[in-house]
Amino acid sequence: MIRRLLRNRSAQVGLIITSLIVLTAIFADIIAPYAYDQQIRQPGLRRRSPPCIHLLGCDRNKPQLLMGLDSNFRDLFSRVVYGSRLSLQIGFLTTGAAILIGTLLGAIAGYAGGWIDNIIMRVMDVLLAFPSLLLAIAIVSVLGPGLINTLLAVAIVSIPVYARVVRSSVLSVKEMDYITASRALGASSARILFLRILPNSLTPTIVAGTLGIATAILDAAGLSFLGLGAQPPTPEWGLMLGEERNSVFNAPHLVFFPGVAIMITVLGFNLLGDGLRDAMDPRRRV
Amino acid sequence: MMKVEAPDCNYGGTMKAIEAVDELTVKFTLCSPDPAFPYKIAGDSFAILDADYLNETGGDSNKISEAPVGTGPYKLKEWKRGESITYEAFADYWGEKAKTPTAVLRWSKEAAQRLLELQSGNADGISNVGPDDFETVEKDSGLKLIEVPAANIFYIGFNNTIPPFDDDRVRLAFAYGIDRQRIVDDYYPRGSVVATSFVPTSFAVGASPNVPWHEYNPEKAKELLKEAGKENLEVTLTYRDVVRGYLPNPGVVAQEIQAQLKEIGVNVKIEVKESGAFLDSVTAGKEAFYLLGWGADYPDATNFLDYHFGPENKQFGKPYDDIVALLKEGASTADLAKRQAAYDKVNELLKRYVPMIPVAHGGSALAYRADVEGAHANPVSALVFAVMAPPRDTFVYVQNAEPISLYCADESDGETFTACAQIYETLLRFKLGTAEVEPALAESYESNADLTEWTFKLRPGVKFHNGATLDANDVVATMAAQWDAKNPNHKGRTGSFEYWTAYFGSFLNAP
Repeated sequence: MIRRLLRNRSAQVGLIITSLIVLTAIFADIIAPYAYDQQIRQPGLRRRSPPCIHLLGCDRNKPQLLMGLDSNFRDLFSRVVYGSRLSLQIGFLTTGAAILIGTLLGAIAGYAGGWIDNIIMRVMDVLLAFPSLLLAIAIVSVLGPGLINTLLAVAIVSIPVYARVVRSSVLSVKEMDYITASRALGASSARILFLRILPNSLTPTIVAGTLGIATAILDAAGLSFLGLGAQPPTPEWGLMLGEERNSVFNAPHLVFFPGVAIMITVLGFNLLGDGLRDAMDPRRRV
Repeated sequence: MMKVEAPDCNYGGTMKAIEAVDELTVKFTLCSPDPAFPYKIAGDSFAILDADYLNETGGDSNKISEAPVGTGPYKLKEWKRGESITYEAFADYWGEKAKTPTAVLRWSKEAAQRLLELQSGNADGISNVGPDDFETVEKDSGLKLIEVPAANIFYIGFNNTIPPFDDDRVRLAFAYGIDRQRIVDDYYPRGSVVATSFVPTSFAVGASPNVPWHEYNPEKAKELLKEAGKENLEVTLTYRDVVRGYLPNPGVVAQEIQAQLKEIGVNVKIEVKESGAFLDSVTAGKEAFYLLGWGADYPDATNFLDYHFGPENKQFGKPYDDIVALLKEGASTADLAKRQAAYDKVNELLKRYVPMIPVAHGGSALAYRADVEGAHANPVSALVFAVMAPPRDTFVYVQNAEPISLYCADESDGETFTACAQIYETLLRFKLGTAEVEPALAESYESNADLTEWTFKLRPGVKFHNGATLDANDVVATMAAQWDAKNPNHKGRTGSFEYWTAYFGSFLNAP
């Protein structure tokens, strides 16, 4: 399966992009020339200075600023690099939590059936009925702004997707002969559910999860943009965009780079997710 | 003929009586001399409403905002909440009629958005040009920039009843730890100056250049915090994300302050609040550490100092009695030298107590399309849409926030005043582009020698939008609704009538 994945063009690109971002996040301390909240003050250096790259002929007496300075004299490049850490954490943590809870709920619903199934899945339907960002805004408004609350909100709104995926795969295998055989051998319900049935839903969950990371990063960035997520001076990409939204015309680099960072990250995870789906789908075997 | 009178002058306010002498004469009697009374009464909070209309609505801000009735050149056509306010010219207006039949007030929080509206021709005028956009506007031949003089103050406020700011040393340490020069140099547009006192230096009295504010000294700040046992302090800084002449870059300045305080070992959490909720919370004395400012209503020290440090104001916590006494001294005479002497002492005390840190007097600018005749900027009062004459049927103005209501007696916010000022009028008003008063609903006015009795002769034949005619009883009813807490129309939006209490002290029959 991995070979199939590696042969898939979009998966290749996705994998390269995501690995690069993961590496950036891990080695942010080494890559970033400055701390994310450090002000660079030098005579003649104005805030919101455009990028200054020595290789491209920028005056060597000036400090090298790959992406320029932001409104508070901070190196935008360092902030974007540190931002990758936050975005990945947000993506993995929220998706991880959502998968955990969603899988559990979906598995119980699918396996138990009857009214339990009904209750769980109707609640999931209600959650799905709201646009996810709107629901997240509502949750954050109740909990108060902040990064942790944003994580919670984004995690909660992405639960139903996984619950559905897992439930459908549980339903499709629970009446199969090998399950009946297992039951006849005296295996407990929990054992059957977790060891015999759930592994079947692993593949679709991984695919949904990879795509889910992209959505989670976008949602969290959206919340921060609105001032409900990460609080300054945290280098969160969405927050950086939101703070500088008035600079689109007079200092475009301030919105361009964080925006591009979000775009590339989301693109990477989406490509990887698509590739995974193609590679794991038996019907699409080349 | 109506008359409202306080039994004596010991109830805590400075208004003694308001009386309709005859159909077109109103007399205000004050408990103490007030040289600034004409300026005060010209404020948009004291716009005159029809007495019958006021009784019908019970002075309820919500009802009045639905269908406001004033005497102004424009009447309300429609307020699409969250979108726009449309005015249409009032045909029976007593003075020069509005130059443009329709005026539209819109709002957008984003400076870039406002500028785009202006450049694309969707707006004829915009408020608060972004500090980085001054040049853009000036280079564009289709636009013109009108700079507004810096008659304002941006300050960092503390509440002396909320820990850790109940400790004088902490506030003083913050005063030493903030580099005001750096803030103004880096984040303010041209025309801005570092504040030495709370009152702008352009005013006749109130500023004390010989009592300069604490010099930036982070070492001393650290020592003070250590002495107070408040090292590694964690505080929350609140502000509203609304652009004002005194604070053109709220978010960025908040982060600069965060960065500066980090250098003296204070960890600052930044919290943005919704504008109306934030102001209410500050007024109620619930914000510990906040960014706020003040734009002049009239060019006198009383407007800055008395409003903020008077006995009624809770925004800095417990008022300082010695400052209150000195303010009373400064406001009770017209002798400039005596007043300045009192204000010098006030500034000494402000420097010692540090209820706030005065940071900057901010320069700002409005921008108009070049073809708008009558385009102006007023230093202390709201814009007058009626004189704006673009070569089109509609004048569209985009400001930076939505008005809170259309009954300004119980409001204190500049955006709301802009909306009210087109509909309502006051006894006196500010001349366009200046801070001098001129007759409006009152044709003339006079005072007795010791400035305690002010008599206004009303203009005959002024019509309200509902067809009623203005008489002295309307004036008394309007004022009584604010002044007398037992008046059935004393309701408003929150019932705080901030300008009344700031200018004239306590309510009559206060509970």
